[in-house]
Amino acid sequence: MIQPITLTVNGHDHPINADPKSMLLYALRDQIGLHGPKFGCGLSECGACTVIIGGAAVHACVTPLAAAVGQKITTLEGLAENGKPNPLQQAFIDEQAAQCGYCLNGMLMTAQALITRNPHATRDDIKAALQGNLCRCGTHMRILRAVERITQPQIPTGATP
Amino acid sequence: MSAGAKLRLSRRDLIGFASGMVVSFPLLARSDMINSATSVATVPPPPDAAKLYAWLAVHPDNTATLYTGKVDVGTGAQTALAQIAAEELDFPIDRLSVVMGTTSETVNQGPTYGSLTIRYAGPQIRAAAAAGRAALIERAAAHFSTHADLIEAKDGFFTVKNAPQRRISYGALVAGDRLDVTIGAKGRGFAMQVAPHAKLKNPADYRVVGQSIARKDIPAKVTGAFTYVQDVKLPGMLHGRVVRPYGVHATLLSVDENAVRQIPGFVQIVRRDNFLGVVCQTEWGAIKAAKILGSVLHPKGPQAYAAKWSNWQGLPAMQDIATVVREAPGKNATVLEHGAVDQALASAQRVLKATFESPFQMHGSIGPSCAIAEVTRERAIIWSGTQMPHQDRHDIAKLLDMNPDQLEINWFEAAGAYGRNGLDHAVADAAIMSQAVGKPVRVQWMRWDEHGWEPKGPPIVQDLEAAIDANGKVTAWKHHMWVPTLGDSTLIAAALIGHPNRVGSIGHGSPAVTYAYDFPNAQISGHDEGKVALRTAWLRSPAQFETTFAMEAFIDELAAATKSDPLQFRLDHLKDPRAIAVLRAAAAHYGWQPRPAHGKPPKNGQPAKGRGIAWVNRDDTRVATIADVIVDPASGRIQVTRVVVAQDCGLVINPDGVRNQVEGNVIQSLSRTLHEEVTFDHANVTSRDWVGYPILRFDQVPDSIEVVIVNNDPKYPSHGAGEPSTCPTAAVIANAVFDATGARLRQLPFRPARVKAALT
Repeated sequence: MIQPITLTVNGHDHPINADPKSMLLYALRDQIGLHGPKFGCGLSECGACTVIIGGAAVHACVTPLAAAVGQKITTLEGLAENGKPNPLQQAFIDEQAAQCGYCLNGMLMTAQALITRNPHATRDDIKAALQGNLCRCGTHMRILRAVERITQPQIPTGATP
Repeated sequence: MSAGAKLRLSRRDLIGFASGMVVSFPLLARSDMINSATSVATVPPPPDAAKLYAWLAVHPDNTATLYTGKVDVGTGAQTALAQIAAEELDFPIDRLSVVMGTTSETVNQGPTYGSLTIRYAGPQIRAAAAAGRAALIERAAAHFSTHADLIEAKDGFFTVKNAPQRRISYGALVAGDRLDVTIGAKGRGFAMQVAPHAKLKNPADYRVVGQSIARKDIPAKVTGAFTYVQDVKLPGMLHGRVVRPYGVHATLLSVDENAVRQIPGFVQIVRRDNFLGVVCQTEWGAIKAAKILGSVLHPKGPQAYAAKWSNWQGLPAMQDIATVVREAPGKNATVLEHGAVDQALASAQRVLKATFESPFQMHGSIGPSCAIAEVTRERAIIWSGTQMPHQDRHDIAKLLDMNPDQLEINWFEAAGAYGRNGLDHAVADAAIMSQAVGKPVRVQWMRWDEHGWEPKGPPIVQDLEAAIDANGKVTAWKHHMWVPTLGDSTLIAAALIGHPNRVGSIGHGSPAVTYAYDFPNAQISGHDEGKVALRTAWLRSPAQFETTFAMEAFIDELAAATKSDPLQFRLDHLKDPRAIAVLRAAAAHYGWQPRPAHGKPPKNGQPAKGRGIAWVNRDDTRVATIADVIVDPASGRIQVTRVVVAQDCGLVINPDGVRNQVEGNVIQSLSRTLHEEVTFDHANVTSRDWVGYPILRFDQVPDSIEVVIVNNDPKYPSHGAGEPSTCPTAAVIANAVFDATGARLRQLPFRPARVKAALT
């Protein structure tokens, strides 16, 4: 049942009252007031809710609060460096890698986790990492190019007409 | 930022510039307006389109705002419309923000659908901005006590000719005044003519229109600062979830309220006839309560949960849907008839026939539909991502038995919808729940609500028949299509509360096709039907995705039958110069070598390569697509390796925006071609998540999608770019699979099992 819980999100402690069996996504959105993680399916099928916990991309929609307590949680808002978009976020801006953008949280957080463990990820590596992230607008080509700007900087930009 | 901080904000307070900075303007404060509205009976109506302030505001810090009744559904319309305004106004695009959709702040320019925004709202905004520039020049002339002819406007500053020290910014000149200038407007919606006497800039002088200006919304979307409708919060807001009937038309027999009373924060069950919702203080509480009542991914039966439904089993068997579509009542309509088709077919040396079938498909937004409503006796304030806020204002007023003057729709972008998905229906759900509890209620559908209840694109059946003469020319062409309604505008909640006809109408299908070949005898006709089995509504390139599949795959069959090169065969039967231009442009970029399709079974079961071509004229936008595929006979899997698209949508406002749209259309339509089919049993939709309704993932994206823009010239007016390039894809893939393997795929989707079956 509802009890005091402290979550560590983007370097700050957030004391909240919540059911430890409830999912992390709702605490982040409704109680801590973050917009990055999105509700997409609640079933761990689309990736829109992705956050980074302990370096790994995790689906917040199926992560109970009990499992998140004591962990360092990073959301999309936490990627910014000195109040500016981090290099991956900037690469998405430079590639104009968005349409509606609702999936972008998951794309960015999953790609960020990939870059941390594989800084030179190839296109196939990126595709494999993002296989669980759905985009309905069809922005895939631009997302791949945006991540490649970080992991394969030798590839000339605008290579695809 | 605290949960309460961004609450009562409208777009006007949240305007982000290209830099991603969020600023608020010293205008009339929205938050004050909404709070004060608690004591008044009405809310502000849309502004008068004949006034300049309905379209533009210039602020003291020399920024400006464009107001438009159009919305951005993820296509970049916001930036493109801003370019058009900035161009005519001679104002810096990065200092021009855009307020979209909100009914109290914008003019009704018609819904945002049909790839019609740039085509119709573009000229309206262009004229308003041109009139605005002229009015400000008059004001600058008065300010400098000179003649308007001597005033130059550039980049947000007015200067007196040959006197560069006599210079004033737009913002300083306007000095916070409302632009209370009559510019004139007549007509309504798409047809509205704004500022008919405005003097427009010569397109040869364009500096902003035609540039790939970076989209205004993207920085905030990649940092998490963007406020989607799903992110809007109001003080005291409660959370609602819907509990839909087990079967589409089941009757609610009983609800055991005791089963959910103990949930922390439980507020109320909202029951009206067959409408069932539950409202809690927390989102998690609402989800849990709805689950107990029966809102789950795969419900176990009509009586398995705390809400008991009748055992309605009225849907047809899924495998019979094509027959059901053929036999549904409707009206035959002829699109085009010339020559004597039946005679030509009867006397022909060679006749080919084929039938094409396509299933129910869904919009499949990544973000389930969401709306927030605050309904009192006096008024209803709504926050929605609808494609048609001004229409919703009237529709929801009807639903609530209110006057439109009592309603305001605050528009915030939602996840892409690609047609009419659940967004308007979620508004109705939220309004009914808020009305019942007397507090603001946020309703977000669960994934299974979206997959299960969003209106689908309808199943379509088409028969084609053609005659070929001894010279390999088509002498007769007959195309008949059975199309269920595409424009059902009724509301789910209205039906559930027992008033199915209170809002909108079911409508009927129409033979959605632009015939563009030049055959001596031709007959194009359709059977226009109402609702068949499941609720439907427009889905990206409504019916045209399917009709282009049939037309362009069948043309390919004729080309193959005559051993002709499929490109040359099309060109031989075409006169439309813009169609010929896109086909030639795509072929040139691709490096097309003329040859008939191979059409032979793969050797030794090895993966085989093929190429396909198809084109469409979709509402005057021409698109030609060529794709390479590899078909693996062992698995039945189709991998698309390269796609080339040539598109003529006339004058392009933002070339990168058009490319982004074409890439998206290609991938989404590829997904519809390879994967997508709604499944259902006799009670309801059974493909209620991404497992049941798979869409294309990263492993199947092509290696490249190359876009060639054709006839980007001011002599051709701008036409739609948001949908047309969806149309050719299924035919392109079917034709490429034939080239690779000799198998003809005439039923969507081309899932591996179906491909394997076609290969044997």
